Amino acid sequence: MSILIVFAKATVGGLAVVGFSVLGTAGHPKRFAGLFAAAPSVALASLAMTVALKGPAATVPYAQGMLIGSAGMLAYCLLSLYLIDRLHALAGSILSWLAWMAVTGGLYLAVGR
Amino acid sequence: MHGEQLLEDDHEPVGFDWSKLSKASPGEIAIRFVFGATIALIAAVVAHFFGAKAGGLFLAFPAVLPATLTLIEREEGTTKAWADASGGALGAVGLAAFALTASLLLRWNPVAVLFLALLAWALVAAGLYFLFRVSGLFLKQDKLVAKRR
Repeated sequence: MSILIVFAKATVGGLAVVGFSVLGTAGHPKRFAGLFAAAPSVALASLAMTVALKGPAATVPYAQGMLIGSAGMLAYCLLSLYLIDRLHALAGSILSWLAWMAVTGGLYLAVGR
Repeated sequence: MHGEQLLEDDHEPVGFDWSKLSKASPGEIAIRFVFGATIALIAAVVAHFFGAKAGGLFLAFPAVLPATLTLIEREEGTTKAWADASGGALGAVGLAAFALTASLLLRWNPVAVLFLALLAWALVAAGLYFLFRVSGLFLKQDKLVAKRR
């Protein structure tokens, strides 16, 4: 995998995040806007580029990994609800990464490999 | 977290106010771009060294949420940040629908399936949002999780 492809994926991923965050910024009420915080922005960009470069068969494992990661994302959001109310947004949302790591890592080790 | 503010927010009609975009500073946009690009970079590097499935895990990593939630709290208060995370939980279920659609159908027609997966995300996330909104499940969730009522 060339460095150029990696940086192309990063650039397209960053642009996709900005695109979905525009919808999140403009959306109301806040809970509706929050849906866009969990939009498949990086995933869409990354899967599209991988399909184009390696073909659909090689892209399927990325999507399977993402399915495991999305369970971690749900755990992240639920823990962040608990922690933001108690520790405020910065500490609560960063500490909640632990939930993503625990759930995603656990599922990947148990059924993903 | 203020229950009354949440309730007021929940009664607001659903839509998009594009004039809010003019308030977004270039710095905020740059932060989101950097976090998004970084996680895409990490996913690609992890896939290279540990396999595609391991790299795919990071396609659902909440990289941008801490920055987003912190910005919302700074500008609009903790309750609004909490409400945003609450919507994010429903979006995460939609994210699983996106990944499931892609992993099952991608071999069939990749371009069509990526559109279909995006549609699955939108339908599941928005469907759950409206279900929670009309059924009062948001209120039950708030009472279950929130410290202050």
